[in-house]
Amino acid sequence: MFAYYMDLALRSLKRNPVLTALMVLAIGLGIGASMTMITVLHVMTNDPLPERSTHLYTPHLDPLPLDYSHGGSGIDPSDNLTWPDAMSLLRAHRGVHQAAMAGGTLLALPVQSGLQALYAAGRYTTADFFALFGVPFEYGAGWSAADDTAGARVVVLSDELARKLFGRADVVGRTARLGELDYRVVGVVTRWDPAPQFYADSTGSQFSDIDTFFLPLSVAVNEDLPVSGNESGWGDDEKTGSSKRGAAMSWLQFWVQLDTPAQVADYRQYLINYSAQQKALGRFQRPPTNATLFGLMDWLAHQNLVPNDVHLQLWLALGFLFVCMVNIVALLLAKFLRRSGEISVRRALGARRRDIFVQLGVESALIGVAGGTLGLAIAQLGLWSVRHRPGDYARIAQMDPSMLAGTFVLAVLASVLAGLLPAWRACRVAPALQLKAS
Amino acid sequence: MSMRIHLSVLRRHSLMPALVVLQVALACAILCNVLFLVQQKLAPLLAPSGVATDELILVDRMDSQAQPWTAAEVRRGEQVLREVPGVRDASAAFGLPMVPGALMDMALQGGNGVKIGVNGYLGAGLVKTLGLQLVAGRDFLPDEYHDFGLDGDGSHGWDPVAQQPIIITRALADQLFDDGHALGKLMSDLHDNQGNGHGYRVVGIVRHLLRNQLGLATDGRADNTVLLARRIGSTSILNFAVRVDPSMHDAVLKRVAAAIQREFGARMKEGATARVSFYSERRAQAFQRQRAALWLFAGVTLAVVIVTVIGIMGLTGFWVQKRTRQIGIRRALGARKVDILRYFLVENLLIVGVGIAIGMLLASLGNRLLMRHYELVHLPWTYLPWGALVMVILSQLAVLGPALRASAVPPVVATRSV
Repeated sequence: MFAYYMDLALRSLKRNPVLTALMVLAIGLGIGASMTMITVLHVMTNDPLPERSTHLYTPHLDPLPLDYSHGGSGIDPSDNLTWPDAMSLLRAHRGVHQAAMAGGTLLALPVQSGLQALYAAGRYTTADFFALFGVPFEYGAGWSAADDTAGARVVVLSDELARKLFGRADVVGRTARLGELDYRVVGVVTRWDPAPQFYADSTGSQFSDIDTFFLPLSVAVNEDLPVSGNESGWGDDEKTGSSKRGAAMSWLQFWVQLDTPAQVADYRQYLINYSAQQKALGRFQRPPTNATLFGLMDWLAHQNLVPNDVHLQLWLALGFLFVCMVNIVALLLAKFLRRSGEISVRRALGARRRDIFVQLGVESALIGVAGGTLGLAIAQLGLWSVRHRPGDYARIAQMDPSMLAGTFVLAVLASVLAGLLPAWRACRVAPALQLKAS
Repeated sequence: MSMRIHLSVLRRHSLMPALVVLQVALACAILCNVLFLVQQKLAPLLAPSGVATDELILVDRMDSQAQPWTAAEVRRGEQVLREVPGVRDASAAFGLPMVPGALMDMALQGGNGVKIGVNGYLGAGLVKTLGLQLVAGRDFLPDEYHDFGLDGDGSHGWDPVAQQPIIITRALADQLFDDGHALGKLMSDLHDNQGNGHGYRVVGIVRHLLRNQLGLATDGRADNTVLLARRIGSTSILNFAVRVDPSMHDAVLKRVAAAIQREFGARMKEGATARVSFYSERRAQAFQRQRAALWLFAGVTLAVVIVTVIGIMGLTGFWVQKRTRQIGIRRALGARKVDILRYFLVENLLIVGVGIAIGMLLASLGNRLLMRHYELVHLPWTYLPWGALVMVILSQLAVLGPALRASAVPPVVATRSV
């Protein structure tokens, strides 16, 4: 019976190819637009480190003076840590692993002639960074805590930067020139680019940036290397100093690994105690209970990384899909009711209402499948255009298999749903009346 | 009389009109919001810059090696640039239109207590170099300038009682002072965390000056810009504005670039090159993202419109076909073609009227819902009639085809197949 309905549906669709094409196009456009935006939102709210994210936390202190006003920029200086606070947390060593870090861009000079100088983005951090995030090494290893203390000029390069500077990747032991200093290469990491770059300063482009080198934070402070993230100072410059070591300038990010709920609770309490102690010393002015601990995904939510535009475009696309669906309902209704005569003849020859309903349902499902296929193509086109649009998240706009399947299911579901009302209306045609009238 | 016929017909067959109403309502809601968003994206694109766009070359990305640029180097740079043939004026500046690298934001409070976030531009002689139009007051006097830089901290050299002079735009004058008479009046900076309480005294008002935080240049905030009487001293962020003879367009651009390279090249970071380009080129780059968004919205609008029109045409076409005999009877009873045409157009207007009423409600509801979650701007009601008007015109056009077909039904149809 199904094959027969299929044949009937195909015949019916072929009878009015323009109308069929319009319906397929409408559902394709709606599905394509929606899936493009759903995919963009999906990749933007992705877990950047699925295996580790549940154990990673970032502490949040509130060292700002009571009368500090945020102004209109919307940047909260307390999202980052000051040097003294970061060093205290680091030395306290309360987590399994912990590291302080800040981003920086340095001019990298190639060793091999014939290669071009380039600005490389990277991270100033502490020894535990690589263990904390599980950064995979291709050659060598990270540096030691002793290197941190000594301010040793060592660097870990990404495979990509190593090839750009040396023309090859196994360069451990060689010297790289970054900025105006020479560094000994101690390790090379394979491509590692969590998106979003959750551990970076929130003012940067977290979806498009990739770190290409890592060097000790102590070197960056000693040599006053340029920091690419937000550096917010407050208070009087003369008293506290607004240099990198200053207690009134926040510029560092800090991440800690905590494996058990007990450790998390302990750490949270430690932060509050630390804030209370700093308040007693007169450095902090705000209540110690302002100190909190964010999990990785909570932190991303707190930062509100997804631009309003993306949410808005998603709603627009879904609205558009709804318009398309209503349109399909209208067109199918017109189409089915035009065939009232044919339906009445079938009914008079013994077909039950259910049979008519299934027959028309098959026809709308067929349109759904065609529309879904078209929608998939349109969504790929949409994602392609997103990738070529100027924007931070362009790079990551890709569709994974689950989204592909989702697109198709959505398309068929949408058009079957849209076909329900017209099919129901058409199968209720009174055969006697209809046949008499014609 | 005729209205009663319309209504009773619609009541008897309510499914078709209900679908059209739903379609129109949804399309209208989307269109109102999209129109508003388009306007939001267009606002900075359409805002007048206030500067002499064809005569302005901007220079940035001059990274110094090791030490920041000294005040003497900055002065010499200005001097050298002024001596380039074809250059009319040159100023070192911190904060320039279309140069987002150096940003200064302030929160000003004027005579009427209104607080407004503005961008500040600093640099000697900017009024002349940028080619701004003073509509009231005067430019800064040469002895009013004080150094802004790393060596002398900002407030150094100011008499604590004295007010710093400031030049504001006309839009700011209108917003910050009730009667718009800002000249000679005082303003305060709410960001001034040092609390040294300096006020700013308005000495001049310019017609327009586009801010350099373009993302905030919407809803009449494009002109929220002020000029401060500061000369650029020692700095690590060095930008230049150069006003040139427009007739020597490319030639003078090359000469300015050469002069910058000659003067500053040796002290710039290895591999770094200054960016020297005309205002128009910067503008095109800065608005690239806005234009992409506009294309997207245009695409959505077009798609919604086409789909809706097709839907209305399909439904009305079917409905006309179904009523062919009734139309024939009406024609046989003496109705003219134009009566039939008018009948269908009026019927469509009735249905669409209900649709847009619901649509406008949906539009503002949807906007309010989105606003609560995504910090959007409130949709002003003035956009609703525009969306509605577009819908009315579109649906009348959509129904024209089927209505014409209906009016072409010959009276003889009434006598057939009876």
